[in-house]
Amino acid sequence: MPESIPAPLIIDTLKDTFREARGGNTREPLGWILSVPDTHQKTVLAALDKERALRVVTCATEDEANAVGAGLWIGGEPCVLMIQHAGLYASVNTLRGVAMDGRVPMFYMIGLLQREKDRDPKESRHSMVRFAEPLLDTFGVPHARLEGPDDVHLIPEYYRLSRERRGPAAVLVGLETS
Amino acid sequence: MAIKPEDVLRAIAGARGNAICVPTMTTSPAWRTIASDDLSIGCVGFMGGASSLGLGLALAMPKRRVVVFDGDGSLLMQLGSLATIAGAAPRNLTHLIFKNGVYHTSGAQEIPGGLTVDFVQMAKGAGYRKAYAVADFDDFKRRLSSMLSDEGPLLVELHTGLADKTPMTDRGGQPFHQQVETLRNKLDKAG
Repeated sequence: MPESIPAPLIIDTLKDTFREARGGNTREPLGWILSVPDTHQKTVLAALDKERALRVVTCATEDEANAVGAGLWIGGEPCVLMIQHAGLYASVNTLRGVAMDGRVPMFYMIGLLQREKDRDPKESRHSMVRFAEPLLDTFGVPHARLEGPDDVHLIPEYYRLSRERRGPAAVLVGLETS
Repeated sequence: MAIKPEDVLRAIAGARGNAICVPTMTTSPAWRTIASDDLSIGCVGFMGGASSLGLGLALAMPKRRVVVFDGDGSLLMQLGSLATIAGAAPRNLTHLIFKNGVYHTSGAQEIPGGLTVDFVQMAKGAGYRKAYAVADFDDFKRRLSSMLSDEGPLLVELHTGLADKTPMTDRGGQPFHQQVETLRNKLDKAG
C-alpha cells in the first residue's frame, strides 16, 4: 500500500539534489522551486515558505513555470517544477516546446490529487488520475511514482535523468504529502 | 504616427550594452538582422512564453539586464505572467510590449479588445515597479536609457505599427534548442 511522504524528507532530498547539481557548491539559493500550488503537495509548499536555502517562485500557470525554468537553465540555475496532474494537462504545449523540442532539462514533481490509496492510478475512478501516466508515456517523458518515503531516491535519479537526456522527466507523487 | 518596430529595435541594439534580449513573434526577423550574433534568445514554439522566459533569465542573472520584446497578442496568452513577474520582483527586467492591436503573424486578426487593452494599467495592477506608454519615437529615444537601467520590473507599452516582416513571411533563424545551447554557453563563458 502506498504511504504518505513527510514534507521535511522531500525538502531535504531536494536540497541534496541541488547541492549535487551545483557540484557541491552551497551558494544560496541552492535551487529554485517553480510552483503552481498543488493541494497534493501542500505540506511541502507550506514548509518551503520557511526555507531560506530554496527559493520558491509561485507561477500563475504551468506554462509560465516551464518557460521560467528554461530561463533559469540557460542562466545555469537548477530548478524543480512542482505542479499537479491538471496542470500537466494544461501545459502540454509548453512542455513540448520547451522541454522536448527546446531540449531543456525539466524535472517535474506532479501531484496525483484524488488518487485512491487502494488502487493503481490506471484503475482510478478519476480521469485526471488515470490519464497522467499514459499522457507522459505518449510524450515519451520518463516517469516514476513516489509511493512512500523509501522512494525519495527517485527525486535525484529523475532530476539527473532530465539533465542526461536534455529533456523532461517526472516523478508522480502518489499520495498527499504529510 | 505609430512607431516603427524596426526603429525601436535598432535603438535598443545600440544602447543595450550586455543585456540579454528576448524577442518573440514579429520582432524576431528584424532582430536577427539587427543583432545577429549577440546575447538573445527568441521565444519560438510556445507563444506567450517570452515574459516568463525573460523572468527565468533575470532571476538567474541578477547582475545583467534582461529585455523582453513581447507582443500584445503574445502577452494575452499568458497574462498571468504579469503577476508572476511582479511577485518575483526582478530588479533587472524590462518588459517591452510592442502593441499593434493584432495577431500580425497569423494574418493580422484583431486581438481580443484590440487597441483598447491597457497593459500599463494591468502591469501597475499586478505590481510592477513602474509602467508607462510611449507613443512616439522621439519620446522613446529620450526614455531609452532609463528603460534599460531603471529598477524593474518595468513595463513599457510601445504604440507601434506593423513590422515589415513576420516569422511567416521571413522564416529562418536558429531553432529554439540551438538558441538555448548557444546562449547558455555564452553566459557560462562570460561568468
